[in-house]
Amino acid sequence: MLRSRRVLLKNSQTNGWCAKTTRTEKKIIMTWLDHTGKFYFFTGKGGVGKTSLACATAVKLADAGKRVLLVSTDPASNLAQVFGIEIGSGVPTQIKGAENLSALNIDPEAAAMAYRAKIIDPVRENMPAKVVKDMEEQLSGACTTEIAAFDEFTTLLTDDEHTRQYDHIIFDTAPTGHTLRLMKLPAAWSAFIENNKSGASCLGPLAGLEKQKERYSQAVHVLANPEQTRLVLVTRPEPAALREADRTRGELESLGIKNQWLIVNGMMPETTSSDPLAHAMRERGKNALDAMPEGLKALSTDMVELQGHNLIGIAAIRALLNPENSDHAASIDQSPPSIEEPSLSVLVEEIAQQGNGLIMVMGKGGVGKTTIAAAIAVELAARGEQVHLTTTDPAAHVEQLIDEAPENLQVDRIDPEAETKRYSEHVLASKGKDLDEQGRKVLEEDLRSPCTEEVAVFHAFSRVIRESSKKFVVVDTAPTGHTLLLLDATGSYHREVVRSLGDKSGKVTTPMMRLQDPKQTKMLLVTLPETTPVLEAAQLQDDLRRAGIEPWAWVINASLAAAGPTDPLLVQRAAAEVKQIEAVKQDYAKRIAIVPWQKDEPVGVERLSSIARQNTPETVSKTS
Amino acid sequence: MSYPATTIEVFDPPMCCSTGVCGTDVDPQLSRFASDLAWLKEQGVSVRRYNMAQEPQAFMDNEQVKSAVNQTEGAALPAIVLNGRLISQGVYPTREQLTTLMQSANPAPASVSLTPANQEQGGGCCGPEGCC
Repeated sequence: MLRSRRVLLKNSQTNGWCAKTTRTEKKIIMTWLDHTGKFYFFTGKGGVGKTSLACATAVKLADAGKRVLLVSTDPASNLAQVFGIEIGSGVPTQIKGAENLSALNIDPEAAAMAYRAKIIDPVRENMPAKVVKDMEEQLSGACTTEIAAFDEFTTLLTDDEHTRQYDHIIFDTAPTGHTLRLMKLPAAWSAFIENNKSGASCLGPLAGLEKQKERYSQAVHVLANPEQTRLVLVTRPEPAALREADRTRGELESLGIKNQWLIVNGMMPETTSSDPLAHAMRERGKNALDAMPEGLKALSTDMVELQGHNLIGIAAIRALLNPENSDHAASIDQSPPSIEEPSLSVLVEEIAQQGNGLIMVMGKGGVGKTTIAAAIAVELAARGEQVHLTTTDPAAHVEQLIDEAPENLQVDRIDPEAETKRYSEHVLASKGKDLDEQGRKVLEEDLRSPCTEEVAVFHAFSRVIRESSKKFVVVDTAPTGHTLLLLDATGSYHREVVRSLGDKSGKVTTPMMRLQDPKQTKMLLVTLPETTPVLEAAQLQDDLRRAGIEPWAWVINASLAAAGPTDPLLVQRAAAEVKQIEAVKQDYAKRIAIVPWQKDEPVGVERLSSIARQNTPETVSKTS
Repeated sequence: MSYPATTIEVFDPPMCCSTGVCGTDVDPQLSRFASDLAWLKEQGVSVRRYNMAQEPQAFMDNEQVKSAVNQTEGAALPAIVLNGRLISQGVYPTREQLTTLMQSANPAPASVSLTPANQEQGGGCCGPEGCC
């Protein structure tokens, strides 16, 4: 039974160009807002507008008198950028301009630090410094970090005492891969505690875990109860985002989360202009929606149109769902900016000269990391280099971009499930070979711990890094938050190796050391010419520098300004890009390349390769 | 042979989990020892395991363990406490060694009236450097 109610969210004043269009007034209906239960989850592929819509929903409900807590579970949260204030982790921050609204970041690093302090502080004075340092290191690994954040998450879901003062808790989640993992953990950990009899795990001694187990299974129930939890899948009218939304729908449905809604965000509205870009954009959106996966069609669906401006600040956020109050009218008479920056081909040229190496493509979700990584890989391969293109993003679709890879281009992905299996088998075959049956059983049991996945993925990542001393390895990374955690694991592995080898550590090269070596590794930060992705990339750059890694170049992707639009809405967006492009050039990047918005979906070897070649007239004229 | 009134406490060094699967390397010794402990349980021994990185308070509460850890800067771990007496430091005993230890703690085959472990703390011959 279809319950689909497609509604166009009219936003004329916001866009400031309604005089030129002939659209009819439609009543705004935001059906996802009719959930009376406590929990909303906003999820979807990176860059689809989860944060904007979660924030707008939170403000809307708070304005209606509800007491709302907005929680970001993204390790690279954007709430601070949206509201323009520091957002607390651990203690919620009251949002200025929305009386009933508080916001909170679940910051895995901060959660892990608090977790460490809780355990270590009581004994710190009474134990030798060396022992305390060992404890700190043992509690700094990937799984401690994950567990600490996860603990905070389940507390919010289950601890009524803690959250009684709120009518709604709205979760703005990290991009898909990270979020699916978070949502699956309560079930995974309660099953593990149930089945493991050997006495200890990363969570602590299993004997003391009854309380946790109860909390985790309670969390599973809360998520699955439609009266309590509504999941809002946010998507763009783009094939990749729709596919990812559908996959998320399926996986969360199998966890019992059935109260699901869909918001298609950023649809190019109908226009009377003759701009071929605008028509191509609308066409691409319509085609994507026509080919929408069946599973999504069955969901209640709302539509939110493309906005002319960046959704930063509480006024812009509030206006998104209250267009009648918008004072964000922009000038209609903007002329399209002209942008002249080097194309991606300039970077590829320089990369190719090195002969081998690791190219890590990083950035916020949805900025086109996969496209840029694939374009670079395809172009390097076309130059005859041996290339391996892979991704650390559990939700990425890098293989789907490349129809027929040439022989010298290997395309695959680091699949957490497959890697966990591979790692477990390897450990059992090597470390387990001299154990008796019972010993092997104990090892097997521990390997079934949800922690193993974190470790296995890290080992796979290390393997890929090593490979780059012989050929080109292009890594499309997961969205920032997930990637930061992976780098953090790489750092703590490095410290652990150095600690355990002591004087002999000078002889080994850890994956971290390879990442820090500019001769071996080039980090590319990809961004859209929009406020949030630029800020996120800038923060990522700071994080990398703190880890001793210097980003090599910035790529500004999908620039409308570089594509030369004439449609008023697109011109408005293009004009807003200029400030961001300047900021990247002046404040952040050592090298820069700009990739214009593509009229055709950038898939297939031909189109991808052309992204890494086009743009400057000289390179365009070259035949391939 | 069974050892119904015997209590063994293992004080592990700081580690993520009991087999090390989530650390930099898996130590097969840890799996072997975990299975030896499971075997001891089957013999009726009561087994309790403390990880320094998870329950450091247990290390503080046991005077012998606390002072051994302090004097050796942690090298005394893993420490094994049998019926309240610190009997091994710095290594995971093999199953044979464990068997010998059990037998020494249970001289009479059917002795069931040993004092509970926690009341015996502090006594015995074991200095901080280990003995017995």
